Amino acid sequence: MSASSPLVLLERDASLPLIHAGISTRSGADDDPPGLEGLTRIAGRLMRRTAGGKSPDEIDARVDRMGASLGLDAGHGGVALSGVVLERSFADFMNLLEETLTSPGLALDELERLKRETSAELVEILDSDQQLAQRWFLRSVFEGHPYGRTVIGTERSLAAIGVEDVRCCLAREFRRDSLVFAFAGAVDAERAQQAAGAIWQRLPEGGGAPPPPPEPVAAGGRRLVFVDKPERTQTQILIGGIGSHPRDADHFALLLANTVFGGTFTARLTQEVRAKRGWSYGAYSSLGYDRQRQAFSMWTFPKAEDAARCIALELDLLQQWWESGITEEEFVWAQRYLVQSQAFARDTATKRIGLKLDEMLNDLPEGYHDEFVARVQAVSLEQANAAVRNRISLEHFVVVVLGTHSVIGADVKKAIPNLAGERVVSFDTE
Amino acid sequence: MSSSSATKNAPPSLLTQRLNKGASKDRQVHHLGGYAFGPALRIERYAMGNGLSILLVEDHAAPTVAYHTWFRVGSRHESPGKTGIAHLFEHLMFNETEHLAAGEFDRELEELGAESNASTWLDWTHYDIAVPSSAFERVAELESERMQHLVLREAQVESEKEVVANERRYRVEDDVEGSVGEQLWATAFERHPYRWPTIGWMADIQGFTVEDCEKFYRTYYAPNNATLVLVGDLEPERALAKLQESYGGYRAAAIPDPPLEAEPEQTAERVRELTKMTPTWKLNLGYRSPALGHPDHLPLSVLTEVLFGGRSSRLVKALVRDREMAGDVRGSLSPLRDPGLLEIFVSGREGFRADQLQSAVDAEMDRVLAEPISADELERAKARIELGLLQGLQTNEGKASTIGFYEVVLGNPAAGFERLQALNELRPQQLRDLAVRYLGRNSRTVIRVEPQPGLAAAGEGE
Repeated sequence: MSASSPLVLLERDASLPLIHAGISTRSGADDDPPGLEGLTRIAGRLMRRTAGGKSPDEIDARVDRMGASLGLDAGHGGVALSGVVLERSFADFMNLLEETLTSPGLALDELERLKRETSAELVEILDSDQQLAQRWFLRSVFEGHPYGRTVIGTERSLAAIGVEDVRCCLAREFRRDSLVFAFAGAVDAERAQQAAGAIWQRLPEGGGAPPPPPEPVAAGGRRLVFVDKPERTQTQILIGGIGSHPRDADHFALLLANTVFGGTFTARLTQEVRAKRGWSYGAYSSLGYDRQRQAFSMWTFPKAEDAARCIALELDLLQQWWESGITEEEFVWAQRYLVQSQAFARDTATKRIGLKLDEMLNDLPEGYHDEFVARVQAVSLEQANAAVRNRISLEHFVVVVLGTHSVIGADVKKAIPNLAGERVVSFDTE
Repeated sequence: MSSSSATKNAPPSLLTQRLNKGASKDRQVHHLGGYAFGPALRIERYAMGNGLSILLVEDHAAPTVAYHTWFRVGSRHESPGKTGIAHLFEHLMFNETEHLAAGEFDRELEELGAESNASTWLDWTHYDIAVPSSAFERVAELESERMQHLVLREAQVESEKEVVANERRYRVEDDVEGSVGEQLWATAFERHPYRWPTIGWMADIQGFTVEDCEKFYRTYYAPNNATLVLVGDLEPERALAKLQESYGGYRAAAIPDPPLEAEPEQTAERVRELTKMTPTWKLNLGYRSPALGHPDHLPLSVLTEVLFGGRSSRLVKALVRDREMAGDVRGSLSPLRDPGLLEIFVSGREGFRADQLQSAVDAEMDRVLAEPISADELERAKARIELGLLQGLQTNEGKASTIGFYEVVLGNPAAGFERLQALNELRPQQLRDLAVRYLGRNSRTVIRVEPQPGLAAAGEGE
């Protein structure tokens, strides 16, 4: 049964004359048909550029005149049309959102221009070693899973996208029951509800959250993907595999253990790689999630000569963490850190609304963020160490190295014991 | 948590009277005035007897405090052969002190739930700690400890030099835009210290000794060379009492003037051509621009916004959208103590060479000289600047950064809002006059970047 009113989240804070407003959908690039990768992103952007049948120039000038910004972000599990506006221009901003969602022009010439721009972005990415390494890491960890697919698209998939594909995509995503309206700042509940309602009632009924993608599965042993780029004085290294989701019973336990391992500036990874040896400017590990488990990853970027020994050190640290766990002292410190630093997760209205959206759009357990502190405090040391052994695999992980293969390839390979597979790809392989 | 407005306190004069009872001269705190900071907040300025400046904003909107320490030292204070020491020193400040073993400073901050970072630029060094308000007093002890009691050992200096060298590889050597920007400033300036990068030349970074670091520390890290900016959920009297206790024992030092040489006027265009590992041509331009405190800076920042601010700005529209020559066009005006650059970066699309990109940029620059800015363009630029300022003030961290930056560069912590007010006086004709003054080709530097031949991929190998 369809809802009778829009779903509106609000965090009021009138200390500055600013309002953040956004509309999020519950399906995203994971639903792009095979061969049309990048469709969701293109469709959203085309809608944003042709609101009310106007030209992009007119729309961009109007946004600037309001003292606003308006962007469209496409992710695996959803799309967010959102921005910030000076309070005095709020009504016009919401009118623009309404025109964007209810009467986009979707002109063919603009679609073609957008596709050419996106192709240029794909070329620009070749300048970013970090983005290239990240792309190959996700592609390798989530091989065969939607999280391994590209959100931006490929030259071939972009070429295949037509206006009708865009219409179908928008019709699927922007339906009443698929949307969450979120407001933060100098706006009260009545005004927010009214603004959201005006848009919502003009949209088609139906929608809702599609089922989440399947659970990703770790497999393939220890694999090395070397992204070969000439003349690199430095490498980008990502090591990891499947991580955890807040729905997992041991998620908070793993979060605590990871805080000790690589979650902060004084964590083991940073101390060993950066502070003691000076090998990398940054050295961190992180746990990500969408509607399913995303990756657990370690990230370092040592100079080329240090790459092999840095990988060996990271694998040693990983093994120690897995086999011996964290100490009581480390555990108590991490618990205090996570509890105390929560103040900064929610110190602005925008952050608080972000937490609510995160909970709703990523299928988190109810109260995940509100009860964060209590849940961290409920974890025991034994649970934290068990979570590492349960969730982190020493057998199945991917090592992605971006560097110059002819210079360091052989040493990097030697640094990874029991390697099940090695692949060398040129950095500009799509 | 209460409302965002300040709570009722004793007036500053009464407050300092109570604080100074029995205090030695160095520890005494004096109230030097106040400034409105937006519609609801107020900055109070205090100074300690030892010269330490304190800017305090009480705001109870969130149970946090931004604790920022600004030192009036940056890469402008360095000399050839020793470039990068201000930045290296920023790294070293997170190390051992007389009362804290190596690593304990950060470890304790994290245990308190604090977030800390630091940055160094041409004119200043900035340490920022975001702290839950309950931990303010301990953070004052930790932060004051490293101002005067840092311990420098060879092993730590060597390790940190390696970290900084890696940071340089990350931001410059293997980053096309980073390396091109560095060349732009090195070519545009011949005498002034702005000609070398804040991170320093690689050979200089690798050559620093413990003695170099000791000398730098003893010269510039003194209370009279620092400003504390505290914003958030704090009670002024208690906060100032804690600062008296933590910093009051420190003595002022004689801070030398930086070894500045005035930059001669540029009278001819300077051009450099580079080859880089990049798939497309790039273009970096720098026009000589006024210092932040110069009356032309504000209108020139508006003109920069008209030309480069957002997708409807002139150059972005012309090069990215209409002519599809560039993937990215950006322009920024340097906010420095001394004259700097209005910098333009263009990343070309495949098939467009740097000379074609430059012709397109020149055509738009010529248009500014020939045609007035429209009233609508001016209004849009003003609205964008207003939005930008307000967005930067959403957190205590943002407020403290804005206040500290304007204090250190201009000596006026409320200058952000004052500049916003002054925007109302601007007229389109003024911007055209400015363009004539600053956007001439003889006062600019051009860096053209050609993609290295043979960059094309060899394809996938298994």
